[in-house]
Amino acid sequence: MVERGLTVRKIVIAGVLGAIAILLGVTRIGYIPVPTPAGNATIMHIPVIIGAIMEGWGVGMIIGLIFGVSSFLNATVVLFKDPLVAILPRLLIGVFAYITYVGLKNFNQYVAIGMAGFVGSLSNTILVMTMAVVQNYLVPGAAIAVVLTQGIPEAIVSVIVTLAVVTTWKKLGPSGKQKSKIS
Amino acid sequence: MNQPILSVKDLTYVYMKSTPLEHQALLGVNMEITEGEIVAIIGHTGCGKSTLIQHFNGIHFPQTGHVMINGMDLTKPKLDVKSLRRQVGLVFQNPEDQLFEKLVGDDIAYGPFKMKLPLEEVRERVKWAMEMVGLPFDEMKDRATFALSGGQKRKVALAGVLALRPKILVLDEPTAGLDPKSRRELLEKIKKLNQEEGITVIFVSHNMEEVAYLADRIYVMAGGKEVCHGTPEEIFTNPEIILQHRIGTPETVRTLHRLHEEGYAVNTGRFRVEDASTEIRKLLPE
Amino acid sequence: MSSPFELTRNITIGQYLVRNSIIHKLDPRFKLASFAILLVGIAICDSYIGNLIGLFLSIYLFHLASIPVSYGVSGLKPAIPFMIIIGLMQLFLYKEMSPDNVIYWQLGFLEVSSASIKIVIISVLRFMQIIFLSSILTLSTSTTEITRGLERLLSPLQKVKFPVHAFSLIITIAIRFVPTFAMEMEKMMKAQASRGAEFGTGAWWQIIKRTTEMFPLIIPLFNVALARGEDLILAMEARCYTPGSSRTVYTQYKANGNDYVALLVSVGIVFVLVFIPYPW
Repeated sequence: MVERGLTVRKIVIAGVLGAIAILLGVTRIGYIPVPTPAGNATIMHIPVIIGAIMEGWGVGMIIGLIFGVSSFLNATVVLFKDPLVAILPRLLIGVFAYITYVGLKNFNQYVAIGMAGFVGSLSNTILVMTMAVVQNYLVPGAAIAVVLTQGIPEAIVSVIVTLAVVTTWKKLGPSGKQKSKIS
Repeated sequence: MNQPILSVKDLTYVYMKSTPLEHQALLGVNMEITEGEIVAIIGHTGCGKSTLIQHFNGIHFPQTGHVMINGMDLTKPKLDVKSLRRQVGLVFQNPEDQLFEKLVGDDIAYGPFKMKLPLEEVRERVKWAMEMVGLPFDEMKDRATFALSGGQKRKVALAGVLALRPKILVLDEPTAGLDPKSRRELLEKIKKLNQEEGITVIFVSHNMEEVAYLADRIYVMAGGKEVCHGTPEEIFTNPEIILQHRIGTPETVRTLHRLHEEGYAVNTGRFRVEDASTEIRKLLPE
Repeated sequence: MSSPFELTRNITIGQYLVRNSIIHKLDPRFKLASFAILLVGIAICDSYIGNLIGLFLSIYLFHLASIPVSYGVSGLKPAIPFMIIIGLMQLFLYKEMSPDNVIYWQLGFLEVSSASIKIVIISVLRFMQIIFLSSILTLSTSTTEITRGLERLLSPLQKVKFPVHAFSLIITIAIRFVPTFAMEMEKMMKAQASRGAEFGTGAWWQIIKRTTEMFPLIIPLFNVALARGEDLILAMEARCYTPGSSRTVYTQYKANGNDYVALLVSVGIVFVLVFIPYPW
C-alpha cells in the first residue's frame, strides 16, 4: 500500500489528541493551579508533545495547529485573539519536542520523554512571547519575565504529565522493579 | 420493619436548570432501602437510574425532595460530603477506565490514603479489599495495572471502592461488557460482600438473570419515576407489570410461564436457576 | 443549584451566533481569506488615520453582520487591565532613536517620548480592530464552516504534497470526539470524587504535588482517548480506508458575487490602510 506521508494511525492519533487539546481548553480542566503570574499552569499543549513523541513531528504540528486554532477561537485574553500569536508558534511545539525525543531516546527513554516534555513546553512559552514582542503587545523585558515565571513552572508540569502519560501508554512499566507504596 | 438505611422522598432533578437545554431527569422518586438488603434498580435507558444513584453519594444533591442516608440529610447545607462518600461507595459503569496508578496496590490505596489513614491501616484495607474481590494480595499488589485483563481491571476498580469500607455499595451496571466467567465471579463476590460483610448493595442492571440471582427487591423505573417495586417473585410473576413497562424477564421465568400456560403444574415464582430446574424435573417422568 | 460535575454539558467551541446577515452568508473560504488579508493590513498600518479608518470599518462590520457591537466590546472588557499594564510599560520603556523623536520626560531608564506615546495609541487601536474582526469571524462562522473553508483554501497545497484530505479528516475526528471525551471526563471526575479525590490540597508552591494530584483525571483521560483511537484505527483499516486516495466531497461551496465583492473590498481596505501616506 502506498502511504503518502500520513498513515491511518497518524491521522487517528492526531485526531484524538487534538480532541483532548480542544477539551482541555474549553472545560478549564487544562489548568493546574500552581504559582505563576497567570495563577495556573496550562497543560493544553501537552497533547501536542505527546503526539510528537508517539507519531513524529508531522502529527505534532497538526495537533499544534488544532490547539492554536482552538485557543484562538476561545480566546479571552487579548494576546490570543491575534492568530499570529495564538496559532503560528504552536505549530513548532511538536517539532522541538520531537527533535529532543529523537536526539535522546537512544540514551535513555525516560530522559528523552521527560526532556521532550520540557523543551516542548518551554518552546511554547518562548515562541508565543516572541510573537507577542514582534506584534508589539509586550516589550522584550516583560516577555523574558513571563518566560521565567510562567514558562519554567509550566515546563516542569509538562515533564511530569508527559512522562506519566507516555510511559503508561507505551507500557514502559515502572522504572526498575518498583514496589507499591503499601509494601 | 427496621429504620431504612437509605430513603428517598419526592426527589426531582433537572439538568441545566433554567437554560434552553433544561432536561428533567427525575420527577419525584420515592424509595426505601433497609440495611443488609440487595436492591436492583431496573428500567430503560434514560429513565433516570444513573441520576438517581449519583444522589446517593453526593455527586448530585436533591433539587427538591429529600434523600436520607444512614441518618445524614443530603438537603442540609452543612453536609459532610467526605464522610458521606466513605459510607456510600459508588462504582460507575466501566470503572476500569478510572485506574490511573501504575501499580495495582497503589490504585486501590488511593482512596484510603486520601482519608489520611496510617500506612498500616491502608495496607490492611487494601489487603481486605483485594481478597474480597478475589485478587491475591501478595501476588497482585505490585503488578502493573495496564497489563491486566479487562475482568481483572474491573476487580481492581471495585477493590478501590471497597477499600473505603462503605456501608452501602452502589453499582452501575457492574457486569456490562465482561465475559461470562468474569461476570459469574463478580456476581458471586458481590453476593459474598452482602452476606459476609453485611454491606447493603444497590445495583442498576439490564441483565435480568443477574437481577434474579442477586436481588432481594427490585425497583422499576420509567420516565424519571419509580413505577413499582417488590421482590423478584412479585415483579417477574406479574404479567401486567412486565407488559406495561416492557421489562425483560429471565429465561427461566419465560420457560416456567410457558409451561404454566400449557397447563403444567409449575410454580412460576420459582425462577432461580436451581429452583426452576427442580420445578421442571418434577414434571419429568421418573 | 447546579452540580459541580455538570461542566461538560455546556461545551461550545467558538461562539457562533445564528443570524441571516450578508456576512453570515459569505462563502467561508472567502470570509477566511478576507479576514487574513485584513489582518495583515492592520498589522502593517502604523498611522493614526489609517487605524481610525480600520476601527470604524470593523465596527461597521458588526452592523453588516447584524450582531450588536456590545459582543465585540464584551470581548474587550477582560482585556482592559492587561492593555493598561502593557500600555504603561510601552509608554515608559519604549525607546526610538530617530531625529524627530521628542522626549517629554525622563527619569533613569524611564522616558516618555512622542514615539512612545504614538506606539501606545496605535497598539490600543490595533488591539481593538483585531478583537473586533476576530469576534465577527467567530460569531458569524460556525466551527464546521471554518474547518471546511480552511480545507478548501488549503487544497492547492496538495500540489506540493501537503495532505489536505488527511488533514481535514484529522480535524473532523478531533471535533467529533470532543463531546465523547467530555462525557468520559465527567464520569472520571465523578468516579474519582467518589473515591475521595481532592484537587489543590498541596501547598501553593508544591508544583509536583499539585500536578500529580491531577493524575486521577489526566491519565485516564489520555488512556481512554488513545484506546478509542486504537479502536478507530482498526475500524478504518477494516473498511480499507486509504490515506491519500482521492474522494468526493459532500458539501460543495459555490462563490457568488457577494463573495468576490467581499474579497475585493478587503484588498481595497488594505490598500487604503497601508499605501496612502497619511500626515499622522
